[in-house]
Amino acid sequence: MISAIGRSVREGVEGVGRAGHFVAESAGATRDFGTWLPLATAHARTLGVDSLPIALFIALFTGIVLALLASYSITGAVPLYFVGTLVEKTITMELAPVLTGLALAGRVGANIAAELGTMRVTEQIDALETLAYDPYSYLVVPRVVAGTIMFPVIVGIAMIVGVAAGWISSVLLLDLSSADFVKGLRLFFTDFDVRYGLVKSASFGAAVTLIGCMHGIRASGGAQGVGQAATRAVVYSATMILVLDAFWAVVWLLGKSR
Amino acid sequence: MKRSNDFLVGLTVLVGVAAILAATLWVKQSDLRNRKERATARFRDVGSVRVGAAVVLRGVRAGRVERIELAPDGWVELSMALDPGVTLPRDPVVLLNESSLFGEWQATVTEEAAVPRDEVVERQLAEARKAGGEAWPGATLPDIAQLTAVAGRIAGDVASVAGRFEVAFDDQAARELRSSIRNFASLSATLSQTVKNQSANLDALSADLRVGMNRLANSAETVQRVAQRIDSSTATGEVRKIVADVATAAAQLKETSEEVRAMSRQLTRSQGRLESVLTTADSVMLKINSGQGSIGLLVNDPTLYRNSDSLVVELRALIADFKAHPKKYVNLRVF
Repeated sequence: MISAIGRSVREGVEGVGRAGHFVAESAGATRDFGTWLPLATAHARTLGVDSLPIALFIALFTGIVLALLASYSITGAVPLYFVGTLVEKTITMELAPVLTGLALAGRVGANIAAELGTMRVTEQIDALETLAYDPYSYLVVPRVVAGTIMFPVIVGIAMIVGVAAGWISSVLLLDLSSADFVKGLRLFFTDFDVRYGLVKSASFGAAVTLIGCMHGIRASGGAQGVGQAATRAVVYSATMILVLDAFWAVVWLLGKSR
Repeated sequence: MKRSNDFLVGLTVLVGVAAILAATLWVKQSDLRNRKERATARFRDVGSVRVGAAVVLRGVRAGRVERIELAPDGWVELSMALDPGVTLPRDPVVLLNESSLFGEWQATVTEEAAVPRDEVVERQLAEARKAGGEAWPGATLPDIAQLTAVAGRIAGDVASVAGRFEVAFDDQAARELRSSIRNFASLSATLSQTVKNQSANLDALSADLRVGMNRLANSAETVQRVAQRIDSSTATGEVRKIVADVATAAAQLKETSEEVRAMSRQLTRSQGRLESVLTTADSVMLKINSGQGSIGLLVNDPTLYRNSDSLVVELRALIADFKAHPKKYVNLRVF
C-alpha cells in the first residue's frame, strides 16, 4: 500500500515534470518563427474556422435556454429586465468561454492528439527529428498559437450569437420588450465582462492544444495508444478548462470584487 | 489551399474582432465622436456607484458615469458624460442614490433648491461647495442597507417595548383589566339607558322645534306677503300718496298750531282783561260788602229784603186776584 502511494506520488510528479518540460520546449520553439508561422493559418482554419458552426450552434441554444431559465428564476419581486443582465453576464463571462471550450476540447483536443499520436506511432515524428525538424516548432507551436488566437475569436462570436439568441427569445417567447432587454443588458455591463471571457478562452485554447499535442506526441502502442491518447487529451483538456475557469475566477474576479 | 486558409482565417478573425468591438461599444453606449459633454462632481463617498451607471436629469437618463477616481484631501471625483444638448440647471448638484432595490445606483443631477431637506445631505453639499473648483457639489443618499439597518434598530426597540409590556402585563393586571372590562360593560349599559332617555327628550324637543319651525315658516310667509304688499304698494304709488297726505296733514297741523298760538296770545290778552275785570269786580264786591252804593245797601240792609219779600207776597196776591177777577182790572170793549 505504501509502495502504491509512493508510486502514485512519483507518477504525479513525473507527469507534472513532463508537462513542464513539454511546455518549456514548446515555449523555446516559438522563437523559430520561420517554421511555425507559415503553418499556423492552416491550423487556425482547422481548429478555429471549422469549429465555428458547432460553437455558434451551442451558443444559440445556450442563449435561448438561459433567457427562459432566467425568466423562470426571477419571477416575482425582481423586474423581468434582469433577464438581459443575466443573459449578458452569464454568456459573456462563463457559458460562452466554458461551453465553447469544452466543445472544442472534444473536437480540437481529440483531433490534435489523434493526429500527432498517429504520426508518432507511424514514426513520422521520428522521421521529422531525423530530418532535423524540431517537432515542437513544426507540430506543436503552430497548433498552440492557432488555438490560442482562434479560441477568443470563436468565443467572441459565440458571445454575440448567444446574447442575440437570448434577446430574440426574450422578445418572442417572454413578456419582455426589446427596450427592457437592452436596459437589462446595459445595466451592469462593463467591458471587463468581455475581456474576462476572451482572456479566459485564450487560456482554454492554449491549454486544449498543449494537452492535445502533449498526449499525441507521447502516444505509443499503435492504434490503441492513439485512441488512449485522444481520450486522455479530451479528459485532461475538459478538466483543465474547469481548473482554469476556477483559477481565473479566483485570481481576477476575487480581486475585482474586493 | 494555403491562400484560401489565410483568407478564411483572416476574415474570421477580422469579423470576430470587429463584431465583438462593435457590440461592446454599442452596449457601453460609447461616445466615439466625442460629442458628449463632460462634468465632474465631488463627493466624500460614492457609495456603490460604478462606472457606466446612469446619470439622470429630471427623471430621464441623460448620460453615464465615465470615471470614478480618488482625489486629494479625501475627495472622490466622479466624471460624467452627458448627452449633447442637455440643458442643465443653473446651480447643479449631484445626488448619488439607489435606483432600485437590486443594487443599481445612479447619479441624479438636480438643482440646489430641489435637494431633499436632510441635514446630512445639506452638510455634504456645503462641504463639497466649500472645497471650490469647477466640480459640482455632490452628496450620497443613504442606501437601502442603511435604511434597513435603521428599520432593524426600530424593530428591535419595538420588540424591547413589547417585551417590557409582556412583563408588566401579569396575572394581577389581567384580573384588573377583566374587572375594568366588566365595569366598562356596566357603564356602557347605563350610558345606553341615558342615551335612550336623552333620545326620547330629543325627540320631543325635535317635535317642538318642528312646530316652532312651522310657525316661524308661517311668520316668514306672512312677512313675505307683507313685503309683497309693500312691494306692490310701492309699485302702484300708494306710499307716495300716503306721504303726500301726511305732508298735507303736517301743513294743516302747522296751520292749526299757528292758530292755536294766535288764540293763546288772545287768551293771554283776555286773561289780562279778565284780571282787570276781576279786580274791578273785586272792588265792586268790596264796596257791596261794605254797604257802599245801591247794591251795597241792597245786599247789606235786611229791610230792603224784607220789603222786597212783602212786595213779592203782595204781588203774588195781586196776580192771584187778577186771575180770579180779571174783569176787575181789565175792561175791554170793542164797540
